[in-house]
Amino acid sequence: MDDEVKNMSFEESITALEELVNELESGSLDLDKSLELYERATALRNRCKEILEESERRVQKIMETSKGVETSELTFE
Amino acid sequence: MAETLTVTQLNNRVKSILAESSHVKDIWVMGEISNLTRAASGHYYFTLKDEICELKCIMFKTHRSRIDFEPEENMKVKVFGRADIYVQRGTYQFIIETMERSGVGELYIQFEKLKRELEAEGLFDDSRKKKLPPFPRTVGVVTSETGAVIHDIITTSAKLFPADILLAPAMVQGIGAGESIVRGIELLNRIGVDVMIVGRGGGSIEDLWAFNLEMVARAIAASEVPVISAVGHESDVTIADMVADARAPTPTGAAEMALPDPVSLMNILRGHEHRASKALTHKVAMMKSRLETLTIKSDPRRKLEDIGMLQITMDNLMSRADSALKSKVQFMRSRYNVADSKISPRAAKTEIKSLGESLNSYSERLKLAIKRIIKDSNSKAEALGKRADALNPLGVLTRGYSYVTDSQGNTLTSAKALSEGSVIDVRFRDGSAEAEVKKVKNNG
Repeated sequence: MDDEVKNMSFEESITALEELVNELESGSLDLDKSLELYERATALRNRCKEILEESERRVQKIMETSKGVETSELTFE
Repeated sequence: MAETLTVTQLNNRVKSILAESSHVKDIWVMGEISNLTRAASGHYYFTLKDEICELKCIMFKTHRSRIDFEPEENMKVKVFGRADIYVQRGTYQFIIETMERSGVGELYIQFEKLKRELEAEGLFDDSRKKKLPPFPRTVGVVTSETGAVIHDIITTSAKLFPADILLAPAMVQGIGAGESIVRGIELLNRIGVDVMIVGRGGGSIEDLWAFNLEMVARAIAASEVPVISAVGHESDVTIADMVADARAPTPTGAAEMALPDPVSLMNILRGHEHRASKALTHKVAMMKSRLETLTIKSDPRRKLEDIGMLQITMDNLMSRADSALKSKVQFMRSRYNVADSKISPRAAKTEIKSLGESLNSYSERLKLAIKRIIKDSNSKAEALGKRADALNPLGVLTRGYSYVTDSQGNTLTSAKALSEGSVIDVRFRDGSAEAEVKKVKNNG
């Protein structure tokens, strides 16, 4: 996956993916260009998948104190 | 000299003073119920309190039938009765004869008034409600740190689209709750979350009251961040619910509103993937047939080099397409492995079922295709058979023709091969005759 795709958000990736698929389906491209788009579509789909499969979620609480805004992990007994 | 009394004497004296005083009997006292106990005897014991003081109260079982509601902790009430002394313990208490819920009517009037005002301002209009973001990265929550609400939201969101949770702890009932909720909403706006849930669990109208305060309504309306409300039970509609951009029936519902379901997103991805590979497969097939046409049309000697080049390009492209499609298969595999561990068993079952269904449909289609091929080849074979019949010399002979061979059995097709005296065989369907050529006549 190239760096550009690696840093994309889910929304950016899936939007780009939708556009690519529409372009691929338009049928006006030559094979070489089609393959290039297909490979990029694959990278974008992998990026979406990677985000969806992310199991780590930060759970924090935020408080305003005299020292300013403080963030800390939120835990339950 | 001062009088000396026993404890009993004093307590009884105070009791009778209280009993005689019109100031402390047949009066209404208002406050909030706490430490409520319903004794086995059926009597109610609780402490009535306001911001400063407390008063021990008893309501005897015999008076219970005079009230039409069940007293609850934190309920605001007006009690009617008299002050008294419990002589054995020397404690001061209030004997309740009847009781009313206080403030409910007043609260209702306030609620209706604020609702009308805000409605007239257009704060409830759908046109000013913000759209919830489709894929939030951080979900803010304004609620109590200790309640079930935040717990439910965290548990539910763990199964949804991955997003961080940021809690701005707030008091959700009692004095100062409104200010606390407003501070939370403002803080999350300054920090910049993508969407926020504001709410609390169920309770009495008094418990939920903070969510009917104008300051809370205005903070929600002013929020740049879209707000989902989740206050009390579904039947409790607060002003906060009416101003919020979306209203959820429960905290779990709020999390589900804020975050999309990954199973349906996987389905969307699968759809895109299918369309992309179909488009590519189609493109490859078209290219291939164009190449074949080219090969047939071209003069092999002149275009050989061109075609060679084209074929090399084609091979490259095909192998790239091939590996692209292969990686797709690998992706599908890994996805189902992941699906196995991550998606809920029910969802996984549905996925597997749909995969099974598509496999079935593939195999059905494959069967149909094979049947068609077999049918095609059968009819081709039949046509070929007919043509072969037409060519079979025996078939011709039955129609009255015969054919001629030389003495070695070679079929003769030209008169030029014969001369006077040549010996030939004339072959019929059912036998042959040896003959000698008398004269040869050539046509032209």
